[in-house]
Amino acid sequence: MAASGGSAAADTEVPATRARQRPTLPRPGTGTLVRAAVIAALLLFVLFALPQLMSLYYVDAMTQVAVWSMAALGLGVLVGRVGLVSLGQVAVLAIGAWVAARLLFATAQPYPLVLLEAGLITMLLGTLIGLPALRLRGLYLALITLMLAGALTVVLATTNFPNGGPGFLGYNGSQVHIPPIRRPSIAASDPAYFRYAVVVAVLMFLLVFAHIRTRPGRAWAAVRQSEPAALAAGINTWFYKLWAFALASFITGVAGGVLAGANHYLYSLNFPTYYSITLLAVVLMGGAYSLWGAVIAGLLWALLPSLLQNWGVSADWLTILFGVGVLQVLTTAPRGLADQVPKDLARLGRAARGLARKRAPSESSAG
Amino acid sequence: MIEVSDLTVRFGGVTSLDGMSVTFEAGTCGLIGPNGAGKTTFFNVLSGFVRPTAGKVRAFGEDLLSLVHYRRARWGVRRTFQTEQAIEDLSVFDNVAMIHEHARLGGARRQDVLEAISFVGLDADPSARVATLAAGQRRLVEVARAVVGRPKLVLLDEPAAGLPDQETEHLSEVIRRIPEQAGALTILVDHDMSLVSACCQTTAVLDFGKLVASGPTAEVLRDERVIRAYLGTAEVS
Amino acid sequence: MPSWQDFEPFIVSGLALGGVYALSGVGMVVLYQATGVVYLAFGAVGAMGALIAWSLINAHAPGWVGWLVCVAFAALVTLAYGMVFGPALAKRDPLVKAVATLGLTLVLFGLMDLLWTTSGGQSRAITLPTDNGGFMIGQIQVTWTQVISLALGIVITVVTVVFLRLTKLGTAMRAMANDREITATLGVPVRRVEAAAWLGCGILAGLAGVLLADLVALDATTLTFLVISSLAAALIARLRSITITFAAAIVIGLVHDLLTPIQSLSNYRDATPFVLAAIALLALSSGGGQVLTRSREEA
Repeated sequence: MAASGGSAAADTEVPATRARQRPTLPRPGTGTLVRAAVIAALLLFVLFALPQLMSLYYVDAMTQVAVWSMAALGLGVLVGRVGLVSLGQVAVLAIGAWVAARLLFATAQPYPLVLLEAGLITMLLGTLIGLPALRLRGLYLALITLMLAGALTVVLATTNFPNGGPGFLGYNGSQVHIPPIRRPSIAASDPAYFRYAVVVAVLMFLLVFAHIRTRPGRAWAAVRQSEPAALAAGINTWFYKLWAFALASFITGVAGGVLAGANHYLYSLNFPTYYSITLLAVVLMGGAYSLWGAVIAGLLWALLPSLLQNWGVSADWLTILFGVGVLQVLTTAPRGLADQVPKDLARLGRAARGLARKRAPSESSAG
Repeated sequence: MIEVSDLTVRFGGVTSLDGMSVTFEAGTCGLIGPNGAGKTTFFNVLSGFVRPTAGKVRAFGEDLLSLVHYRRARWGVRRTFQTEQAIEDLSVFDNVAMIHEHARLGGARRQDVLEAISFVGLDADPSARVATLAAGQRRLVEVARAVVGRPKLVLLDEPAAGLPDQETEHLSEVIRRIPEQAGALTILVDHDMSLVSACCQTTAVLDFGKLVASGPTAEVLRDERVIRAYLGTAEVS
Repeated sequence: MPSWQDFEPFIVSGLALGGVYALSGVGMVVLYQATGVVYLAFGAVGAMGALIAWSLINAHAPGWVGWLVCVAFAALVTLAYGMVFGPALAKRDPLVKAVATLGLTLVLFGLMDLLWTTSGGQSRAITLPTDNGGFMIGQIQVTWTQVISLALGIVITVVTVVFLRLTKLGTAMRAMANDREITATLGVPVRRVEAAAWLGCGILAGLAGVLLADLVALDATTLTFLVISSLAAALIARLRSITITFAAAIVIGLVHDLLTPIQSLSNYRDATPFVLAAIALLALSSGGGQVLTRSREEA
């Protein structure tokens, strides 16, 4: 806020020359480097220290956190960056898982290739659906994603997930002994697979980060704020919306692939329609705009229930909490569904600061 | 030169434009009329957001209506909106450079953008996020977006709305210099008659979607039909 | 390919189901017109009401008390939601309003699972006294419940059409659909009209809950998401026409049940409302390439 005062005080000469000297993209300042260092340190801790500190029960839960953070990331790009709501992302996750499982059973391809293919095929399907669907706006787009996801859930209930059987569907209904979905040879154990999942997740986050900092990210910011204004700036909004759809589908497809290896066995009841609604809830609560929000969403989705289960509390309380969370976020978010600050955390932060201030009564408590 | 022939917009039983025919020659042209006269609808037709029921628009010899909305911007139609549209999450520079990113405009992008920023007299750091700027400055960002990269047609929709007198004065100076700086034909819609008199050589008046008068601004503002259209709401200062 | 006789009983059940979808769909359309809210929690409130009724009946309360409580519960929760969150979200996009109702859905869903756990194997059922009586049309058995379901669908549709066109309250609702602010300046008690719309919708949700619990299953997930079938009908009617909602609902109910005897498609019949709604939505989009929905910026 330093340079921009009122027009009265400003000296129009100096700012003009200053303007010409400024580079286009701000070079990474100290702040950015510090942040990058912190993130790197956190990552190293998570990859190497965390699995040693946690029991296998929690290692499993954290693997799920990695998977669902990716799903939340995909939805976050749509909701937080472009302003599109999809109520069918869990169906997309199921597609990714299905494709990965099929490939893992049918071929001996290395894991990274399978994940990539799962992502690409899911992305292709997502794009095909986006082509007609993105002609719809706001509410109707959300509803059509709900409808398509619902239809897919019904189909999945009948076709089931591949389990090593023959034919296109790869499902053998009468098999007594079902082989588990394989894992990469370097990451067969649970802690090793956890690390693998985290690495994949980091790659997905980097992919999104790269998008945000370049042309698509800027176009999305314009579209989210006002589609007419974006069009008036020459942006082909439909194309960029489709791009976002494709990106979200790719990431969610890859996440599905990781889920397949994590769970070893997939069932259609792992992907009920209402999960897509709950996913939206945690994305909104974690903060749809920021990348950290996706991590928080993943923690809300996968870690919290495990903690509660350990303490003998029913996970239904979480569903209720998430419902309340949706209502709270929506009634307090100033601009639609895309809000920059994870509202709940901001309030927590303010409450914590308030507590700190109370402990130091010498400081004035100016609101 | 912009030639509008028989432009009609009818939707859901409401006729916003009713056979509007007018020619905007050059320089800065005003477009005034009471609320609901169809001025913003006209802009929306030019921007490509509203498909007219009938009529044609020829802009510098081109059939403007045959271009899809985002292509019109790339062709050279720029506009500002009544509500603030500068993108808050992006920097001033990225806002103004947007049209460069999506249209092959050629020329030195950075120089173009920085020139546009200094042209509107925006004294803010180009890398500052628009969210940190005051309302008046955001307006200037929008105007900078409208004049960057050699536009052909600049549409300004009530740019001074809600601005204090001093900033309106500054805006008035900027608008007056647009034709020479950007070489574009500018159409200005506003209710502030002093702004319109100061900036526009010619003015057209709309009422009920029809053209009521057009010609040199001073004459038009004295025209009886125009005053009657406003029903005596004396905004002529 | 099954014979005509195999289809016959499903025509009856399909019509009954369609009747309930119709009364739900009509409720949702009227509420949307009056408030701009697509009430996605419609199924959840009905489901919870039905479960409450089941608990009461299980505790030896008389049947009619249970049904009354079900309808009252749905009506009150819906009204309360509308009065609290309606004003809070009044100026927001319909998308935001719809997603907010999903919040309510999750809360109710969690409560239902908590209070009426679906412990493996145990299923609940609801029977209405009207299940037992009935008559025969040729070879087909028709229960009074099915008759009531279809009849209620027809009656609610007709009453609503008349109500919207002829009564003051109905006209006010139609006016608000066009422009809430202008309607308010005309002296229409907007809050009261909205309250009436919420209450009416809630009552219909309760009724639908009872009937669907009987006709389909008394299961939280099933009942909560059956709302999608009614939503499909409402979408086919572009959230506007009551009569088209009715027709679409009947078709959806019929198609769904008529697929039952067809071996190759039977497993997929639950996808019927989803597919029909998706088609309707896409057909909706082709009409109008306007970028601006409602240009309030008329200079």
